[in-house]
Amino acid sequence: MDSSEMNEGEIHQIDSDDVIKEEDETENEEGEDLTEDAEALKAELAKIVVHPPSYEQSLMEEFDQAEFSPSYKDNLPKENLVLQYAENFRRQMVQLYRDRKPLFLNPVNECGVEKFVCTTIRPTLLEFKELYNWDGAAEFVADYLNIEPLKPEYELPKRLISPSTVLKRQKGNCFEYSTLLCSLLIGAGYDAYVISGYATKETCLADESRDICPLLKKKEEVQEEARKKEMKKYNVKPPRDLRSKFELKQEAKKEAEKQAEKEKQRKEEEERIAELEKPPPDPYFGLRIHAWVLVLSGKREVPENFFIEPFTGLSHPMDSSNYLGIESVWNNVNYWVNMQDCSEGVKGLSFDLGDSTVWEFMFPNNDKPLLKIPDAEDDLNDMDDDERKKYLDDEEHEVEKYLDMPPSWVDALKLSHRDFQMRCPHGKKTKVYKRAKLEKFAHYLMKDGLISRLSVYEDRELTDLMKVHEYYAHRSDKLTQKLTNHRTGQVCENFDPGRPRCLKEHQFKSSTPGPENERVMIFYHEARVDGLVKREETQTEMTEEYSNRDDFLFYKYVEFGKRAKKFGPQETSSANKGRPINKMIQKFHRNRNKPANEDIAEIIFHVAEDKIHISYHTEDVRIAASTREFLKPPNWDEKGAVLTFNPEMHQTFQVDPMLPMNKQVELYEMLMELLKAEEKCRNEVRDSQNEVRNILDDRTKEEAASELDISVYDTERNEKAKKHRRELERQQLEEKMRKQEMDIDYLAPFLAKIGNPEKLSKQQAFSLKEECLADLKQRLIDKANLIQARFEKESQELEKKQAWYQQNQVSMGKEDEEEYLTYCKEAIFRIHILDLRLTRHKEQAPHKYMQLEQKLRNDERLSEFF
Amino acid sequence: MSRLYDTVEPAVIDEEMLKKAVEEQGPKEEAGKIAKQEGIDFGDVLSLRLDFLNILKIDNLWEFTKLTKLQLDNNIIEKIEGLESLVNLVWLDLSFNNIEVIDNLDSLTKLEDLTLYSNRISTIENMDSLLNLHVLSLGRNQLTDLENLRYLRRFKNLKTLNLSDNPFCKQDEYKQYVIAFLSNLEFLDYRLVDQQSRDAAIEKYQVSRDEMLHNEKQAEIKKEDETKRQQELEKHKNAYVELMNGPDLFEQMYAEDKEGQKLNEMPEKFMQICTQIFDFGIAEHEKREEEVKSFWECVEEAKQDNKRLGMVHIDEFTETKKRMLLEMSQMSDHKMVEQYARDYNDKIQVLWDKLMGLELQLVDQLEEVIKEFERNMQDMVGTFVENVQALLSQCRDLENNHHEKMMEIAIVTLEKVIKNELDDEISDDLKMLLVDKDTIINAVSSSHDVHLLKIDNKEDDIVTRINQSLKNLIEQIHQDEEITRNRMRVSEINNLIDHLREEMDNLEVMQN
Repeated sequence: MDSSEMNEGEIHQIDSDDVIKEEDETENEEGEDLTEDAEALKAELAKIVVHPPSYEQSLMEEFDQAEFSPSYKDNLPKENLVLQYAENFRRQMVQLYRDRKPLFLNPVNECGVEKFVCTTIRPTLLEFKELYNWDGAAEFVADYLNIEPLKPEYELPKRLISPSTVLKRQKGNCFEYSTLLCSLLIGAGYDAYVISGYATKETCLADESRDICPLLKKKEEVQEEARKKEMKKYNVKPPRDLRSKFELKQEAKKEAEKQAEKEKQRKEEEERIAELEKPPPDPYFGLRIHAWVLVLSGKREVPENFFIEPFTGLSHPMDSSNYLGIESVWNNVNYWVNMQDCSEGVKGLSFDLGDSTVWEFMFPNNDKPLLKIPDAEDDLNDMDDDERKKYLDDEEHEVEKYLDMPPSWVDALKLSHRDFQMRCPHGKKTKVYKRAKLEKFAHYLMKDGLISRLSVYEDRELTDLMKVHEYYAHRSDKLTQKLTNHRTGQVCENFDPGRPRCLKEHQFKSSTPGPENERVMIFYHEARVDGLVKREETQTEMTEEYSNRDDFLFYKYVEFGKRAKKFGPQETSSANKGRPINKMIQKFHRNRNKPANEDIAEIIFHVAEDKIHISYHTEDVRIAASTREFLKPPNWDEKGAVLTFNPEMHQTFQVDPMLPMNKQVELYEMLMELLKAEEKCRNEVRDSQNEVRNILDDRTKEEAASELDISVYDTERNEKAKKHRRELERQQLEEKMRKQEMDIDYLAPFLAKIGNPEKLSKQQAFSLKEECLADLKQRLIDKANLIQARFEKESQELEKKQAWYQQNQVSMGKEDEEEYLTYCKEAIFRIHILDLRLTRHKEQAPHKYMQLEQKLRNDERLSEFF
Repeated sequence: MSRLYDTVEPAVIDEEMLKKAVEEQGPKEEAGKIAKQEGIDFGDVLSLRLDFLNILKIDNLWEFTKLTKLQLDNNIIEKIEGLESLVNLVWLDLSFNNIEVIDNLDSLTKLEDLTLYSNRISTIENMDSLLNLHVLSLGRNQLTDLENLRYLRRFKNLKTLNLSDNPFCKQDEYKQYVIAFLSNLEFLDYRLVDQQSRDAAIEKYQVSRDEMLHNEKQAEIKKEDETKRQQELEKHKNAYVELMNGPDLFEQMYAEDKEGQKLNEMPEKFMQICTQIFDFGIAEHEKREEEVKSFWECVEEAKQDNKRLGMVHIDEFTETKKRMLLEMSQMSDHKMVEQYARDYNDKIQVLWDKLMGLELQLVDQLEEVIKEFERNMQDMVGTFVENVQALLSQCRDLENNHHEKMMEIAIVTLEKVIKNELDDEISDDLKMLLVDKDTIINAVSSSHDVHLLKIDNKEDDIVTRINQSLKNLIEQIHQDEEITRNRMRVSEINNLIDHLREEMDNLEVMQN
């Protein structure tokens, strides 16, 4: 209606413009002799100013009508009926409730045709498994579309574009968002509805800058309840507490007071901040129109009713303060009008849609879509045919009485795999939250594999950057997350399993990325041979933690000294040499196969002091542990030198004084072992240092390259796989061609005989046929002759043998006789077979002949002549 | 090498030979020098080689208890002996000797590798206890009987076997036979047994092998049943009610009573009471076990707690000690050092106080708990005994009733006999008893006495056994938990404190 009016206005405007032009022209012509009257008229006329109405292009975006199927451009009779019904309903509502705002019933679609809102919902289940659950579907809709706010924000939109078009143009208002989401949810089996109602400004404009980013919300830590100590019958009594009870009480009281004070302060502070952060008052509060989605419990194991905000894709509880009121609710089968008071927002509203005192329904046929109860169907099956017929008739009869919802006019929703993966329009989307900004990118869109970046700021104006959390996917260096703290300069990188050195997490300072600086590396220890879990470094220390090692080592600590400074010409090798080691500590778990007194718990190599200190594990029944201390022989680091030993080099404390003293030989051997262990430990430390250096080198290289991995299953992106597949297809085709060629051409030899002519004359064709048939005949006869010849040969041989047997029967031994008999048997068998073969050949030969003749008749080269 | 085999003088394993061997094969270089100065104990030696020494008799090896590897090859040993005490032996080489019989290896249960190559052995035997055997070499012997190889099936871990150059190797089926019946073998006569030949061999001997496997399985099941039965019986014995779930007591009652046996059959009721005693006994036993378990758990817990506290104290002290020593080593002022030394000694005293306090506390706690446990156990045993006695007295009543009836029947029967009204059905034995009244009454009452005696014996047996075991348990707890443990801990603490003091003194001496 509006548009037509406006168009008329425009036309009118143009007309008047022309008139004025004409007038101007006349004015110019008669400019010199203007009378006073004329002047007065001019002045009078000048007072009249017309403002041409500005044409709002955006509101009524035009669509190419040719794109749409006829159902978009016209209404079926049933649809018209429904529209009439709806109009009737609207009138009744207006009659009964004069104060009510108009209902959202029959907006026009993109072709300017009025459509009933229920038929705009097109339940669809798309092939993407992420869309099967409500959270995935809601997130997809929120990501995939761009928001078009309602204009003005307190009026219902005039137009509701079909979900299929919305998917194509990737933007829409809240009603279009909700209709699309509802289509997906109903398609996935949820009991979902579109709600038309009122919401806060933040919700209507999808302004989340007052909400904490969902990614930053800390998961509520599950407080593990301290396992109460089981009271056993024979638990020992604890020693008596000799402190004054009164004093304890007083102290506890004081403590509690302090706590309360603190709590109070904290609360006040919180309140103050909340006050500060309150949004400015909204002049249209309670009037802003919004649409969102309601999911009722029951289907798909949804335990409780909840709302889904289509702009954010998040769920809200039934008493959410974001929503201020509900006008109406609809799905693809019915339309309900809310008859409950919404002055308190949506709190406490009943969503029992079958209750007609609180929800006025439009179509009486089925007031609430009920779950199909399987029992009823079973009953139906159990019934006799007559009964069933009667029952069905009844049902049909009943249905006929009411008007039911026509099928949706919307085309099937389609979404290509590529579009689904691109997710957001152009693959990018930015969201602003309270003190945070979230940027999303489609996979493979960014060169470095970035898929989302969350920036956290100190202030609400988003100027003071605190930290950046970046998420990556498909990187060939397996980097998944990178957390940069701009305050401390700390960087934390997380990796997926599969890197060459099994790195899992790497924390370092961005200012000092080189080796021998503060860093923490965490590894996938299950995949490492040495079971390394964590390596922590500072400038002078290195700590390594291990797990699940065969030698029970779980901790290693190294203290480095300063590099000796060399004056004079620098040697090139000294730069690579590690720092001197001052002290090394190794700790071991208890090895139950050894007695505790011989199981080393801790070795400290005092490298600087040439001392080795050992502590053993504590025995189960004791509280003290044995220790041992060795002084290294003075020439221990000389190669090949004979190491001497004397008892003064060793000190020990044995917990059990009754144990026999160790022999000198044992001690000497132990010392040798320890020297070896020290050497080994030193080498391991050097290896660790080298490993760190290597990892860092690798990281720099990877950062520079930042390649992305493409799965072999990703046929779209994987060029190699694509090529391979094409190659395979080509080969298959070739194979097929060759096979066709291979089919035997029975005419080929005869054609060759006459020189493969392009075209056959009639005579040639006849002779060709004759020749071909004669050839076959000859071959068949030859074969028969061959069989006959063999048959005769066999029978002759048999006769000969029989004759020979007759002659020599008397002089033969038993074995010979047996041999003869078996020969006879076999010969007769062979003769019999040959006989059979001949008869069969005789039977089949004419058929074969006929077959060939038929074939020749049908052969395309000869067919024209027969 | 022109000397004849027979003319070689046999050698004897004597101390000199052993000493020489040990020294030669012991530690080398500097370690050897130290070892020589100190002397080597035979008991510490782990491996010994005594080859090419013309030893005739294995002897004097009893001192080498830790020995894991012993080589006695290339001697003229004729009999395996003198190895009984070498229980840790894993590796034994007796190849190239003159041994005729495998024998005296029963105590070497840890043996994994046994070589008897080139001897004169004709049967495989006497190795039942060597269940850990991995490698066995019996090549170049006098083995003739393939059937004898089935003996080797009991060694489940046997992977490598050498039988080459035995008389039976000339038989065609030798190899397949061995592979078929010892299918766990991986190496036979220096060669890997591949799956193909194994399959072929198994196929060839399918029938006899299946039969053998079946028999073995049967035997195994039987054995398992036997052990299960034994365990059950053991459990019942621990509950002091063994054999009460059957007619055993009743049978015992009549075992020594031949006359009675002829007159009787098993009454249902008696059996019922026996079963009742049995069930009750088992239930009570479980209850007692539970009690004992919970007691030990708590005691362990208390000890662990105490240990943890003690270790915390010691660790704390060690930390302070380290710090103080470091500070002292940097000090030059003599007075300050002395001050520190005094402080240190005070700290040691404090540590001693703390540790001893903890120990005393634990002693108190344990004493209390043990007392409570003792009381509860005594109560439980008391109820058990009372109940058993009550049930057994029911048995006695039954017996009395039975006796009376018996008497009646006896008299009636006797009268019948006297009147010659009885059929001929009664046996001759019975006729012998039914001659006059005194005889029959005597027989019946003596049988009654025997029965009562049996029941009494059973009762005595149960009561004494349970009381005895309770006494033992309590005594043991007192001994172990209160006395031994306490003494050990106190001596440990004192030892530690002494050590710490000594350390300090040494340091002072060094500084002075």
